[in-house]
Formats: sequence, C-alpha cells, structure tokens
Amino acid sequence: MGKTIMIVDDSASLRQVVAIALKGAGYDVVEAQNGQDALSKLDGKKINLIISDVNMPVMDGISMVKEVKKLPAYKFTPIIMLTTEGADDKKKEGQAAGAKAWIVKPFQPEQMLKAVSMLIAP
Amino acid sequence: MTTRQNPRQHNRVAAQEVIPTRQFLTFRIGAELFGMELGQTREILEYNGVTEVPLMPKFLRGVINLRGEVVPVIDLAVRLGRNPLQVQRRTCIIVVELHTDDQDYVLGLLADAVSEVVEIADSEIDDAPAFGSNIRAEFIKGIAKRDNQFVVLLDANNALSMRDLAQLVENQLQ
Amino acid sequence: MSMESALQTFYAEAEELLHNMEAALLRLEDGEADSETMNEIFRAAHTIKGSAGLFGLHAIVGFTHVVENLLDRARAGTVIIDTHLQGVLLRCRDHMAALVADVANGRDSTPDLLQSGDLLLRELMAYLEAPRSDAVAADASETEQAAAAAAQDDANIPPGRADTWHLSLRLGPDVLRNGMDPLSFIRFLGTLGEITQLVTLDDHLPDLESYDAETLYLAFEIDLRTDAGRAEIEDVFTFVRDDSDIRILPPYTKVEEYIQLIHSLPEGNQRLGEILIQSGALTRDSLERALTTQAIINQQEQKPQLLGEILAVQQAIPNEVVSAALERQKKSPERKPAAEARTIRVDAEKLDHLINLIGELVISRQRVDLLAAQTGSGPLLEAVAALGGFTEHIRDAALTLRMVQIGDTFQRFRRIVRDTAHELGKSIDLEISGAETELDRSMVEKLTDPLTHIVRNALDHGIESVETRRERGKSDTGTLRLSAYHDAGNIVIEISDDGGGLNVEKIRAKAVANGLIDPNLELSSYDLHQLIFHPGLSTAEKVTDLSGRGVGMDVVKRNIEALQGGIDIESTPGEGTLFRIRLPLTLAIIDGFHVAARNTQFIIPQTTVLECMDLASLPAVKGRNCVNLRGEPIPFIRLSDIFALAPAAFAVQDVREKLVVVQFGNERAGIVVEHLYGEVQTVVKPLSPIFQALKGVGGSSLLGSGDIAFILDIPQLIELAILREARQAAQAGRKQEQPL
Repeated sequence: MGKTIMIVDDSASLRQVVAIALKGAGYDVVEAQNGQDALSKLDGKKINLIISDVNMPVMDGISMVKEVKKLPAYKFTPIIMLTTEGADDKKKEGQAAGAKAWIVKPFQPEQMLKAVSMLIAP
Repeated sequence: MTTRQNPRQHNRVAAQEVIPTRQFLTFRIGAELFGMELGQTREILEYNGVTEVPLMPKFLRGVINLRGEVVPVIDLAVRLGRNPLQVQRRTCIIVVELHTDDQDYVLGLLADAVSEVVEIADSEIDDAPAFGSNIRAEFIKGIAKRDNQFVVLLDANNALSMRDLAQLVENQLQ
Repeated sequence: MSMESALQTFYAEAEELLHNMEAALLRLEDGEADSETMNEIFRAAHTIKGSAGLFGLHAIVGFTHVVENLLDRARAGTVIIDTHLQGVLLRCRDHMAALVADVANGRDSTPDLLQSGDLLLRELMAYLEAPRSDAVAADASETEQAAAAAAQDDANIPPGRADTWHLSLRLGPDVLRNGMDPLSFIRFLGTLGEITQLVTLDDHLPDLESYDAETLYLAFEIDLRTDAGRAEIEDVFTFVRDDSDIRILPPYTKVEEYIQLIHSLPEGNQRLGEILIQSGALTRDSLERALTTQAIINQQEQKPQLLGEILAVQQAIPNEVVSAALERQKKSPERKPAAEARTIRVDAEKLDHLINLIGELVISRQRVDLLAAQTGSGPLLEAVAALGGFTEHIRDAALTLRMVQIGDTFQRFRRIVRDTAHELGKSIDLEISGAETELDRSMVEKLTDPLTHIVRNALDHGIESVETRRERGKSDTGTLRLSAYHDAGNIVIEISDDGGGLNVEKIRAKAVANGLIDPNLELSSYDLHQLIFHPGLSTAEKVTDLSGRGVGMDVVKRNIEALQGGIDIESTPGEGTLFRIRLPLTLAIIDGFHVAARNTQFIIPQTTVLECMDLASLPAVKGRNCVNLRGEPIPFIRLSDIFALAPAAFAVQDVREKLVVVQFGNERAGIVVEHLYGEVQTVVKPLSPIFQALKGVGGSSLLGSGDIAFILDIPQLIELAILREARQAAQAGRKQEQPL
C-alpha cells in the first residue's frame, strides 16, 4: 500500500513542487497550509510522515508538532521540520517538541526525498 | 512549401523542385475576382443583414452578432474605391482574422459570391498590377491569372489595417 | 500539475508576499512593531527564499537569505529596525520584487540591478555584524577540527573501493516516540552498500512488568560493505545522532580501537568481541591478547587509556536538549491578519470565462422569456420567471467572485506617499477610509494609473511645502485622503488634499496663452477647473520628476471614461482639492433600460435612469431643446438627431416621443427616444476599436432576440446636451447644428 505524506507549508508553490517530487517517488501527498489546517486534515487519515515548515501563519510548525504528539493515532508519525540555516534555536525547539528530523531551507527535492526515504519506505 | 526562393531562379529549376505555393480564397465583388490568403479567413456566413452603426462612413456597413461576438462588417468595394456593394441573394460575409498593429481582430467582409480555394505558386504572382487597376498599390500583394481571369490578391494587413480604418471613422465623425 | 504551473504559483505567491511585506514594513512606521507584524515581514522573506531554492533560483535565494537573517534577528529583538533600516528593507523588498519579475519574464537581471543588490546587502551586513559572529566562528572551527580528526582516522582507507565498516548503534530510548523507526535507518543504510552482518542486542530488555512498548531497548551491531565515505554513512543517522550513541569504525581500524569500542559500550566484552570476530574485523587470537593487555594496563594506570580521546573524536555533538520551556515562543496576542483569511487562488482567466458563460446564460434566459411570453402558458411563464430569478442570483454571485476590496490598491499608495514626501521634503500623512469597498477586479488594474497620477499631482502640486504651510497658518503636516464608498450602484473614489487648491488664475492664463479660451470669456470656477482635463494644459511651473511629464489630466479623464465612469473636481483656494471618481461596479453585465430610436436599439444603463415620460406632456421651452420638469429646466437630445438615424422605412406615423431623464454625477439631462421596452439585464460586449471615435456609445450588447443594441455613454451624452443647450441659450434662437 502506498504511503501518504503530508506537506505543511504556507507557500503554495513549495507545496506544489514537493508534491510533484513525492508523487514522482510513489508517495501519496496531502497538503496543508499551516499547522491548524494540518491538524484538521489529520482527522483519522493514515499519514506516514509529516513534512512541515516552522514559520507559518495561524499556527506555526512547532506548536503543530506539540499538538500532533498529543494525538494517539499520530504520535509516532515521523515529522521532518523545514528549518532555516542559522536558526538553531528553532531547530532545537522543534526537536524538543518531538520533531527530530529536519531539512534546511532552501533545499532541493532530492535532498528531501533522501530524508524521507531514511524515515519511511515508498 | 517551406522553401522560399527567388522566383527568377525558381523558374529554371521548377521541374525538380517543390513549387512554393500559397492557398487563396477567391471571391467576387462586381465583375472583379479577389483573393485573400486562406490562413487569414475564418469562415463564410450567409448574409442575414447587419445592424447599422450610427454615423459611420460608407465602407463600414455595420455589425453582426457572430455567436456572441460583435463583429464589424466592411464593404470592401467601398474601401477599394468602387461603388457600394448591392446586397443580393448570394451575398455573403467572409470572416477574417488579422494580426496587425500589435492586436488581433476579427472583421467581416461583404462579397457578392465566394468562388473557390485555389493554390497559386509564388512564381505565378506578378508583383505589380499589370493593368490599370485603380486600387492603391499597398492594398495588393500581387496579381495572378486563373482561367483567363485576373485575381487581385489582397494585402489584408494593409487594406484592412485597424489603425487606418479607425482613422477613417474618426475623419468621418469630424 | 507541472513545474511550470508551480512556477506560476510561485510568481503569484511572491507578488502577494512582497505586497504584504511592504504593507507590514509601512505599518512599522506607524508604530505597529508588534510581533505579528514582524512575523509577517520575516515570513515573506522566509517563504520566498524557501520556494526560490526549490526552483533553483539562486540569485533570489542568495539575496533573500541575508534579508531573512536580518529579519530573524529583528524578530528576536537583537536588531532594532530604525527609520534608516526600514528604508533599506523597503528597498530590499523592491529588489526582491525586481529579481522575481526578471525570472517571471524570462530575462536576465541587468548588471545594474545585481550591483544595487550587492550594495543593499552591504548595508544589511552593517546591521548583521554582531557579537554572534564569534560564536558562529567558534562553532565552525570545532566542527572543522572534528572533521579533520575523522579524516585522519580514515586516512588509511583506499578511496573508491568497497570495504567493510563497523557500526555500533545505541539509539536513544525515545527514538520510537519521536517517530523514528530504527529499521528505516538500517534499510536506508542498505542503499549505501551491502549489510554483511546485522546483530540485534536485546541485553537491555527489562522485565515484562517494567517493559514500555514505546521505549527502544534494542541495540545494533552492523557491518556495512560500501564504497561510501564516513560523511555519507554519518548522514544516515543525522536525525537520531543527537540522542544516540553511534560509533562508526572505518575499515582497517587498529585492533586497539576495536578494543576501546568494546570497553566503551555497555554490553559485556565477550559478547561484542564475538560479534567482531564473526564480522572478520578481529581474530579471536588478537582479541584475547588485546583484552589481556588492556586489562593489565588498566590495573597499572587505574584508568582506561585513550578512551577519552577516542570518544572526543567519535562521539558527535554532546546530547544537549535545550529546555523547551525556556525557549518557548513568546506568544503574541491573537490577531488574525486580514490577508490570511481562507481563500483559494483561481486563475483570473477561468473566472472571466465563467462570467462570459453566465453572460450567455443571461442572454439565453431573455430569449426563453420572449418565447414563453408568446405561448401565453401560465405554468411555463411561472417556471421561466423562477429560472430568471436564479439566473439573476447566479449572475450576482459570479460577479462578486470577481470583486476585490479597494484597500489593497489604496495601501500601495502608502509607499508612494512616503517616498514622494521624502523626496520633496514635505511632511504628508495618508488617511484611508472605505478600504473594504469592493469593485470589479478588472477595473482595479485600469484604475491604478489614473489614481497614481492624481495622487502624485496632489503630493507634488497640491500640498504645499512646510514653509508655505506655516505662512498660511496650516499644520506642518499635510494630509492626503483616499476614500471609497458605494453610491447608487456606483463606486465612488475620492482623492483629496488639504493643500493650496487649484490656482484658477494660472489655469486661466495658461488656457488663454494656449488659445483654448477667449480672453474676454467669463468662466465660472467650475468651468475653469474642468479645463485641467483639456489635453496639453499643465500648470506645473517646474516639471518635476513626479508629474507633469506631458501625460496630463486629460489622459486620466479618458482612462476613467473608458471604464464608463466620470471624474469631478471640487477645489477651494487655500483649503485643498478633491477629485471624485465615479465608476460602475462591474463592466461585464449591467442592468439596462432598453429603448429604440428609429430602427436602432439602445441600452441606457439603469443606474443613470431617473424617470420616463411622454415628451409632449411636458411644457417645452420654446425654440430650445429644453423642457421644464417640475420647475427644473432639463436640456434634452434626440437620439435620432445626434446619431443621424434614418427614418424607418415602415415607420408607424405619429410615434409619441418619450423622454428618459438621466442623471450622472450632479448633472441631469433628457434623452428622447421613440420606444421604451423596459428593463433588461445585458451583457456588455466591447465595440471594436474601429469605433473608438464614436462618441455617446460606450459599447454594444446582445439582446435576447440576438439583436445588437448600443449601450449609451450617458456622461458623454449629458455633457453634449448641456453644451448644446448652453449654446442655444447664448445664441438665443439662432439654430445651430452641433456636429457630434
């Protein structure tokens, strides 16, 4: 069965490119535009991995991770944070909240696919 | 078709080479036969009257509703310095699509009858009007002979230039 | 979905983000430096950089990266955005916009642009040079040292050959809880080469009672045959490295180092030794000898030799989990930015297509109306009427899709006002009201130029210099007001200033000099104001860079009229000037009043119609085209006159002429027609540019019957009627035909 990945980012173009890359690698993709949107879309769906930006309007990535960790069905879902170079404090904050994997923005689709395949199989 | 050559040089080698030709839609206005590049024409409509637009010069006969598009209809006879075309049973409107002055536009042309689509080789087209035509030279691409009759090949981009036509309307209104 | 469409999304998104960034930067000036504003500015740079990186747009990434860095510090409060920095950031925003525009238009950025980008970066660097750079340098050198040590360690590995590495994985107990599956890493490790041995150690499994399913108790010893280097292997464990103890021994590691490994790991010596022997890394003999030697040394020196050093090299970064509580993001008070409402982005072309289709629906519906009326069938008429109701709702709903608030357009002027005021050395406030007023998107685009022109004029010529204002007893700071509101089916936009007002004497002098008016002619101040819309009349004494570049108010007026609108001026010397632009709400579909004169059918926009009556029923003013309507003189024009319409061949004799009283702005006039057909909804079809010179007709429209009607341009007709009436009055009775 195909694995489903959720991409959470406020940039529609980034989501589009990520989705193209992930679908090309055989994953199903769910898009969400911020933390809150992501939580609402976690409603019972099978999500194998979440890729999320840190800086987003309405609900940022770290608050979202904390919420996801409270959901019994999703608390073991691996989360990759998209962090910014030099923003180590944010990275650490994210890791403390339970998102141990990260990719530094800006990244190439291949880097992301590599990170994804470290965590789950297609 | 794609190789374009100097006509003189072409005459000598015509036997072996592909002859460059172009397709024209020919139509009759009065006794004269005109040709228009087929690529510039879109469709031919039966004449069902036009809605006259107030205060327009004679060459602008009016507008028609072409499937929701309001299209001006030009009396080519007047534009070419002849008497206005008399509407008859076979009168039709040739819808042309032109690209000049950085814009695309659609016009209808009145014609007495549409004849046929002909292929005319570049070599058959004479540059200058060979006879005493009273049509302005820039309106004409050239003249060709078909079945013993001269076909005046129109340069639609000049004869129907939007800028010129709009200027004529403006002159009329002043 | 393709990369191309993703790129299009990126352009649109970048434009919106940059727009928000500008608005937020300008808000800083108004003292709104709250965290949400700062976040918004930061996020624009952050998001653009992130997306640009995905598309490989290096120029944008390189520049935006520095901007983002600075904004991140500003957000954290370590850099303060002063007025100067705000100016720099606004220019950075412009630079980003220029870079994006270049990519969107498929052209290379000019060397000039790139150079100005470098200059901007230099200005930013001045703010970025901070104590933090030391720490970064220290970090870097530490990492370098570690890398150098590891490289030395691996020096004896022949490059480009597959050899066997030994990995000891002691993943952190929380790895599962963090969503990490150890098997995933091992599987991924397998993509680097061949896993020749994998031993799972369950030594740490507790009793069943204390067993926690969420905790990882297993450890792994792995032999990996690969031609990959240390960095690549380490990379696999990037995400778990911090919480785990991962040892990576390169091929040809000295026996002592294996021994150190065995000692340093918590499992029993014998057990690990067996594993290493099995993997071929050690022979039983060498292991036993080494263990004995080690034991003797340990006894003598009381501490394991070299162990610390090995650990220093091999253990990555010490586990350091910063307390989340300490660094918890300072929550700003809830504030939802208006722009972040739930919206979807729709291609404008799709929307236009929908509106066109609905236009066709409206026409078809009228056709159905006509046919149903002919049948006289009650139930059919009822059904058709219901259908008509829905059609109208659909039309209205579809049109609202295309409606946008004018606020965004107004906000753009903050920047223009700010920059222009700086440039002119004036102090000017911008006040905005009615930002939520909606109008058709297609109109917004065409409004920008005229509005910009009027605003620049007001800033440049309207509002006085500080000195002049003081002399006149005004406050130092001038005010420009932009406001919008709906009025009777129109949208009204006002641009006003509290400057010196129009100088009517100067306008008059100029008009006389240019031969526009007779020097002896007495003109009201209203008429003099109108003169500024005359082509070529510019009263600016000095031509500045801002306005007066030959494009004048005549162009503004023409642009507004092209939108079926009109423009008025109110100006009081010494107090200021107000421009009032009146526009229809939409250009696509209008409610009209269907009339005919002779054989030609016309539509009068419903919003302009006041009333209709028989012309004969009104007392005429003798010899003039003017009637007395309840005491008010109303000038009128006959459509058959001004359009020189030929009498219909089969005209019914003695048609009673009808007067349609119309109003636009403050002016009223009558339009005389022969037939009134009533209200229709009509789809505006622009007329071919061939008819550009035709005055009094604004467009065409298709009726339910398929016939074409001409939409009257009421402002032009009213103007014409008033003009003609004034001449007739002046020349009392001397009949004069006014050519159109």
